[in-house]
Amino acid sequence: MPSDVQSNTSLPFLDVSDPAFSIRSQAVAKARDGSWCARTPYGLAVLRYDDVQKMLRHPKMRQGSYRWPSHNDVTGNFARWWENMLLSQEGNDHARLRRMANPAFSPKLITSLKPRFEELANRLIDDFAPRGECDFIAEFTEPYATGVICDLLGLPIEKWRDLADIAGDMGLALGVTFKQDLPRIEAATQRIFAYAEELVEHRRKEPSDDFIGTLVKANQDRSQLSDQELLDMIVLAIFGGIDTTRNQLGLAMVTFIEHPDQWALLGDNPDLARAAVEEVMRVRPTITWVTREATEAFTYNDLQIPQGTTVHLFSQSAGSDPAEFPNAEFDITAKRSPHFGFGGGTHHCLGHFIARGDMTEALKLLARRLKNPRFNGNAKWLPDSGNTGAVTLPIAFDQA
Amino acid sequence: MKIKVDLDACLQHGQCVIAAPEIFSFDDDGNLQWKAAPDEALRDDAEAAADACPEQAIIVE
Ligand code: HEM
Ligand code: SF4
Repeated sequence: MPSDVQSNTSLPFLDVSDPAFSIRSQAVAKARDGSWCARTPYGLAVLRYDDVQKMLRHPKMRQGSYRWPSHNDVTGNFARWWENMLLSQEGNDHARLRRMANPAFSPKLITSLKPRFEELANRLIDDFAPRGECDFIAEFTEPYATGVICDLLGLPIEKWRDLADIAGDMGLALGVTFKQDLPRIEAATQRIFAYAEELVEHRRKEPSDDFIGTLVKANQDRSQLSDQELLDMIVLAIFGGIDTTRNQLGLAMVTFIEHPDQWALLGDNPDLARAAVEEVMRVRPTITWVTREATEAFTYNDLQIPQGTTVHLFSQSAGSDPAEFPNAEFDITAKRSPHFGFGGGTHHCLGHFIARGDMTEALKLLARRLKNPRFNGNAKWLPDSGNTGAVTLPIAFDQA
Repeated sequence: MKIKVDLDACLQHGQCVIAAPEIFSFDDDGNLQWKAAPDEALRDDAEAAADACPEQAIIVE
């Protein structure tokens, strides 16, 4: 007899809502050894590589965070955007929006930005390298991640601070104090839409084949991409591209500081940078789980999953699952199964060519120019679950 | 026009099914199916699917 999720107390329990909970803890590894899934205060957690892989593609699962604003009893401009944007859509509407957005995110368009990634990274490193120390987040990953988005949108790089602040304020919507922070979130939403409208207006007057120009072209057929959907997509690119890249590059530096031979190896072999991005995202993904919801009741591995069950797919514990990675130690030269740091299936990250491209260039240059990086004072961290990373990361290094 | 998919690289994301539904589909067991020699009129769709594939597993000739 398959057993029900809620009543099955033989399943391990993980209190993911405890601020002290760590997704990299022994408790999670132990739960994974004994069971493919665990109970949490909000639904199920899937722990093993093979099951995360299957669940990401399961036809009875949909993306699970679309209800977040209503769950928090929040309405307004942010909520309207959140519920309508690509990530919250499913089926035909999702496919239509994704088809319309694809050309703007194509590998060809992104490859053309590579020299700009390099230039930006070098300029930021120039500013702090002579000091032999920096706050890696404030002085590198944040301006870099935001500068890349400025380049993508065709905004002058000087706008990065403004954009980073807006993204930061909007990001408060993902936290537990969503409702209290609503006035700030709404103000940021208004400002981000003002940017999007200005960019579109400009590109309508001066058409081009850049990112915004390509989206504006898709919008010529309004039945396929309406004016509102065009703006919603631009806002999603800004919102989805900044904090993720900032956090992921910070986690890359932390991982390499903990593995100095790997950093030296990368410094001597810049061609390993692309593989290094993948290996970092396997062992330290910033998005440590993605959320799904069961659209109908079904049975999986003898467990009854009722309709409406929230399911967290743990990319972090999948990436260190000994069944898939018997030698899980961080190694940028190892041949690995793919990680889930960009999710998977229909909602697979649309910005992954950009993120992979800009992080590869950054790691290449950083490893060449900063030798022997080490921790240099107290880092400040987001909780080690959900979307994680360092908020401040003081490091010291020897200039090459 | 010829279409090849490197099934060792393919992770069944289905982005090709979204980009070019007239060429790519999943069967009832969730396996990827595709037309190996679709009509030339579908070239734009085929290129869009190759571009959109996260694993870059699609080759259009
Ligand atoms: C290291 C950086 C990044 C990481 C780790 C990341 C991760 C992810 C993940 C895990 C998802 C899937 C969420 C889910 O299934 O619930 C996703 C979706 C998405 N990402 Fe990224 N992302 C990154 C950078 C970017 C960038 C730079 C952009 C745009 C410029 C972007 C745009 C998007 C969009 C539009 C979606 C929604 C796709 C859909 O629903 O079809 N991402 N990302
Ligand atoms: S998009 Fe690529 S990886 Fe996904 S199913 Fe199609 S061929 Fe396979």
